[in-house]
Amino acid sequence: MNKRLLGIPLLCATAALTLTACGSGGSSGSGGGNVTLKLVAADYGDKASNSSKGYWDGVAAAFTAAHPDIKVDVQVINWNDIDSQVKTMIQSGNVPDVLQTGGYADKVADDLLYKAEDVLSTATRANLIATFADAGKVKDTQYGIPFVSSARAFFYNKALFQQAGIAQPPTTWDELKADAEKIKAKVPGVTPYALPLGPEEAQGESMIWELGNGGGHTDRSGAYTLDSPANVATFSWLKTNLVQPGLTYANPATTDRKTAFADFAAGKTAMLNGHPSLIQMSTEGKVDYGVAPIPGKTGPLKSTLGVADWTMAFKKNGHATQIKAFLDFAYSKENTLKFVETYNLMPVTQDTLKEMSTGGKHKDLEPFFALLPGAAFYPLGDTAWDKVSAELKKGIGSAVADDPAKVLGDLQKKAQAAVADK
Amino acid sequence: MSPKSTAPQGRRAGRRPAGRSLAARLGPLPWIGPAVLLIVLVVLWPVYEMVRTSFLRISTSGFVRGSAGLDKYRKLFDEPDLGRVIVHTVVWTLAVVGLTMLISLALAQLFDQRFPGRRFTRWALIAPWAASVLMTSIGFKWMLNRTSGVLNTLLADVGLIDAPRDWLGDPDTAWPWMMLVAVFVSLPFTTYTLLAGLQTVPAELHEAARVDGAGAFQTYLRITLPLLRPAFLVGLVINLINVFNSFPVIWGMTQGGPNSDTATTTVFMYQLKNTDIGESAAMSVVNFALVVLMVLLFLRVSRWNQEEN
Repeated sequence: MNKRLLGIPLLCATAALTLTACGSGGSSGSGGGNVTLKLVAADYGDKASNSSKGYWDGVAAAFTAAHPDIKVDVQVINWNDIDSQVKTMIQSGNVPDVLQTGGYADKVADDLLYKAEDVLSTATRANLIATFADAGKVKDTQYGIPFVSSARAFFYNKALFQQAGIAQPPTTWDELKADAEKIKAKVPGVTPYALPLGPEEAQGESMIWELGNGGGHTDRSGAYTLDSPANVATFSWLKTNLVQPGLTYANPATTDRKTAFADFAAGKTAMLNGHPSLIQMSTEGKVDYGVAPIPGKTGPLKSTLGVADWTMAFKKNGHATQIKAFLDFAYSKENTLKFVETYNLMPVTQDTLKEMSTGGKHKDLEPFFALLPGAAFYPLGDTAWDKVSAELKKGIGSAVADDPAKVLGDLQKKAQAAVADK
Repeated sequence: MSPKSTAPQGRRAGRRPAGRSLAARLGPLPWIGPAVLLIVLVVLWPVYEMVRTSFLRISTSGFVRGSAGLDKYRKLFDEPDLGRVIVHTVVWTLAVVGLTMLISLALAQLFDQRFPGRRFTRWALIAPWAASVLMTSIGFKWMLNRTSGVLNTLLADVGLIDAPRDWLGDPDTAWPWMMLVAVFVSLPFTTYTLLAGLQTVPAELHEAARVDGAGAFQTYLRITLPLLRPAFLVGLVINLINVFNSFPVIWGMTQGGPNSDTATTTVFMYQLKNTDIGESAAMSVVNFALVVLMVLLFLRVSRWNQEEN
């Protein structure tokens, strides 16, 4: 009898112990001189040997050597999981001090982040390329700190152009259509222009075409204009001039960007809008490619789509001073140059851009360097953008198959609902 | 959890020497207790969380911003795509279950005959069931791929189509292919259920029918089918629930796209997750209610079944 009775509280005690053990994670030593910063970053590598973990461990070690009282705990998460893991961290209150990932605005909406001026020295902030720093602003205050970037340009297959008897890459939509027709006639079996409006990145390809007609996802004040007359005209043009005559994929709404890139690198597509990662893919596929400005309705685009990934600092642990020291260190030319060169990405700081564009080491990237200072961005600073972007990915491809005005009108309603809901 | 549930029993047993009669009075409780606990933990609690989430405003970063009342349900029923998605779901469920039952009846009849190699073919039928459904659908997706799919190449070589087609990109051709895959993976279970039913039909009845001069078709219609009803109903209802909930076939092949043109309510729920967790939870609640309805229908039908017997 006694044995039984004894067993019960013991069990309860063990249960209680294991339960509470889960609750006490992640409190880092904030008192005294020693501080451990928690850094969470996305993995840009595609295998263990080139994981970003190596880069960040190196930066952290060098930083701690210079600042012995600040340690950096590095956690690198792959792109597929980082969003959900960061969500879990936020929900459980176990937030990182510094996060490097794809977007920042949703965290601003919940008032989780430091302003950039609190965690970056004036010199480091001045060194950021202005268009990118501006893209990090929510209502005129910068929260997002650009980390790496990329810009879009027009890629064409020189061999296929030659076979079709085309001397120059197109500069307007009508020229693009004429070239596509020539390619369709002379080189059967090749997709003349790859139009990927599938869920992977429809928000990008659609914005490039909208910019070509003086439109865009938003107007100057930042309000969504998805169904503006210019945008409806853009998608009507695409539908009647590229999709219906069979000058692009049969179903752009379900064709993803990676399919388009793979087709181009295999020589099965003559033209598309690509970013620098396509350079290496084309070289590996032995495709003789050319890079040109993106054609617009009446002439090449002056401002192309720029994309950036972001760094941000969380307020919760109150480590502003230490974060500032760390970020100033991480954004030095030496570190940023090493990172962008490792992954063939584009820089966001002026000194690194200057070094890369004048060094002569990056001839293949040169057409893109010129595009960076004038790049146009998604409305990243709008806290509703994540939702709108998800709606665009899912739905905007239908605008070249169904009625453009109706599809864009429905999307505009959803965007306005998302804005009203934030 | 387990110490809690055993505690009262232990204490009482300590106070009273008549512990055995109490244990007898508790009856099966100590035995079914763990199962009940498991149901509470893995079924009822998630259901509660699902319903609760459907009444919350949750930001895209995962922050709970307070109560939403019935807003998420209103938003869901205002979705322009919802009507079409429901029609798709009904057509999908009826078509896939109908075809599965019909083909399975024929297959079960075939496998009930004695023929050389029967054991092998019966084993072979398990294959689509044994393979992961997601794996099967991804396999079909690549076989139908526009540029490199073997089925496209085959159909073009045989001369059925002129050039490779983007089957899954267009809803009109994607639906039939997805239904084919869904039928393919539902056949084994249904056929085995019906086969088990066929084996319970006493051979004397068939013999008697033959003596009375009934033809093969009449025997099947008048004797086999009515006696097969219990197995048929089990197969039917389980398939209805399975196909209605079928997520991997559609997600693996089209992800419900373009837009929501190839989505059923289950896939639509998953698509909504990208933009609004609360609305997605509201869709889940609606789906859950529909499944509960189907289960109630099943219980009703099975009672009717027993009464008839």
